Amino acid sequence: MRILLVLVLSLFAGLCKAHKPSDSYLTLGAEGHGLRGQWDIALRDLEHAIGLDADGDGAITWGELRAKHREIDAYAFARLALRPCAIQPGALLVDQHTDGAYAVLQFTVACGEALPGELELEYSLFADLDPTHRGLLRARLGARTLTAVLGPERPKLALSAEGRSGVEQFLDYAREGVWHIWIGFDHLLFLISLLLPAVLATPRFAPALWDVFKVVTAFTVAHSITLALAALAVVSLPSRLVESAIAASVVLAALNNLWPVVQRGRWLVAFAFGLIHGFGFASVLADLGLPQENLLVALVGFNLGVEAGQLCVVAAFLPIAYATRHTWMYRRMVFVGGSALIALVAATWMIERVFDLKLGLI
Amino acid sequence: MKLVQGCLLAGAFSASALAAPYLPKDDGAVLERLPLRRADPAAAELRQLRTAAATRPDDPGAAAALARRYFELAMAEGDPRYVGYAEAALRPWRSDDAPAEVLFVRGLLKQYRHDFAGALRDLQGALQRDPRHIGARSWRAAIYMVGADYAAAREECRALEPQAGELLATGCRASVQAATGKARQAYGELKAALDEHADAPSEIRLWVLTRLAEFAWRLDEPAAAERHFRDAMALGLRDNYLLAAYADFLLEQRRPKEVSVLLRNWSNSDTLLLRLALAGKAAQLPETQAQVKSLGERFAASALRGERLHLAEEARFLLDLKGDPKAALAAASENWKTQREPRDAAVLLEAALAAREPKAAAPALRWLDESGFESARLRRLAAQLR
Repeated sequence: MRILLVLVLSLFAGLCKAHKPSDSYLTLGAEGHGLRGQWDIALRDLEHAIGLDADGDGAITWGELRAKHREIDAYAFARLALRPCAIQPGALLVDQHTDGAYAVLQFTVACGEALPGELELEYSLFADLDPTHRGLLRARLGARTLTAVLGPERPKLALSAEGRSGVEQFLDYAREGVWHIWIGFDHLLFLISLLLPAVLATPRFAPALWDVFKVVTAFTVAHSITLALAALAVVSLPSRLVESAIAASVVLAALNNLWPVVQRGRWLVAFAFGLIHGFGFASVLADLGLPQENLLVALVGFNLGVEAGQLCVVAAFLPIAYATRHTWMYRRMVFVGGSALIALVAATWMIERVFDLKLGLI
Repeated sequence: MKLVQGCLLAGAFSASALAAPYLPKDDGAVLERLPLRRADPAAAELRQLRTAAATRPDDPGAAAALARRYFELAMAEGDPRYVGYAEAALRPWRSDDAPAEVLFVRGLLKQYRHDFAGALRDLQGALQRDPRHIGARSWRAAIYMVGADYAAAREECRALEPQAGELLATGCRASVQAATGKARQAYGELKAALDEHADAPSEIRLWVLTRLAEFAWRLDEPAAAERHFRDAMALGLRDNYLLAAYADFLLEQRRPKEVSVLLRNWSNSDTLLLRLALAGKAAQLPETQAQVKSLGERFAASALRGERLHLAEEARFLLDLKGDPKAALAAASENWKTQREPRDAAVLLEAALAAREPKAAAPALRWLDESGFESARLRRLAAQLR
């Protein structure tokens, strides 16, 4: 009787509630010959499925969650498949989403020798317990990001990195290259530090342009060499060393403007440090994942994207620098002040990267 | 469409990416508070029902009882997860010749998904098997009310009378009266019925008091409305709808700080989070921004799932918190296609006014004229639009 009454009291009420139903967040990204992944599942849902609140006090503690790590892995990964590869569960972390705390299951996906052209994803988490549950997928394969909503109506999905034509892949990677130059401040600052003195050394435009051309070409050739070597796995360097050296190169290039050591042969400096920057580009490319049969297309596409981004910066910089080169603004503020600022910023990065700290200044 | 979905999904991920995954340092760190403790009577009841349904998989009664309990929890807490659990419990019975109890609960779940036609059909099926099913009859009336089909609602109330107690039957009838220009009479009759049945169970009292508060508010008698709201709150039952209605009342009375206190622990419910944010904005509280952001993420997340079950709330959110009257009007117009209650009309009228598109308000204005609904606020809005 009580049940009936509670129901009836909802009469004319509660017909239009707003809500946050159950979702999980599944992220996949390429790594080496396989994939790495992260799966965020709400603690509320795991509690309903396997029970987490061991002491029954209505609060889930980290200790209670940790104690169930194996059980959670076994439950969840029995309901996710990435054929023909094998999922290997990893660390358990925690994150907050808008509707509460989530268990973060990290995992790797091993595919043997090479990442196959197509993977079949099958998702059936909570399909038996809550048909309204959805898995929100974001997969990054190659330079392409794929998103999908998985659930009982759509439990299977074909994931393919090579579903795109060579031209499309080339453009995908070129776009990533441009994007990386645009957001990769260290590369930009290095280039600008080398370009700042170009318009001051000579009164005419042609020699200044020639100087810029030499610097940019030397930088490009150098980083193309190491990018290719690293991407083809001929040479590999630890990323902390590479990142620290890149920061150091920016510091030195900027300081060279304030206390000139190298003047005529700046293109040589660009070449030498360009070799280091190439390793930095290679790590970005590795994060994107490289399609096995279109390796060259991806490599060339990415590299040309980097060059295109670089040329845009030069094209924007040179005319302005040339036009204002006699002004106090350019000589004191931009050249001296700018170089000092770049040196300072890059020095911060260098300290952070060498000692693996977060200074939080920039 | 794919693009929109992609952008939304990217947004959902970037929003979640802001808080990076972490490794808690202390085993005792509390990560999540559950709605129920193991010792709570409600939890014990659920455990019992779950066990019964699991041990008797062929018994539709056990499944329906479990589904029904979950649905009640969803209504009380404003938590949609329980609706999913209820659907799972009913999964084995999908045909139309299921027992009355299964059809009844299935109808409730359908109306929750805004499949009103399907819900009416299932509830009718339940009544064919059990003509004295009070719940099925009441919900049919409620669904007709939402669609502003007052004649049909009145018919259901009449059919309810022989089975239901006097208080419930009067409440049903009064709800229709109060929506069709006879709020004064409805208020008087329902209040008299409540006084007569002082011993009614608290669930029924809560429902009747909420109706009385709404009627009094509609009649522009805030002191009486306040008294009924407080009496309903004093019953100590958890009810999402009551809290939303009381919060709306306090907001209109320009008492936002009381709303912030009232709904302090209810941010899990989207309907109530919306009220919290509206109150925060009115009282210029610092947490408002975070609440608005959270609401935006929740609306984006449900759009991503292809669900828009909360269009009226979304319209209110867009209008009052995001200052986007055009988008608000689109949501409010879409909402009006299926839901035609006073608050649906209010947001449509306000959005049309703010977006300077009085024509878009025409369906709500027509409803206002035809129903004779009494509300000083809606009348004022209508006058401005005309």
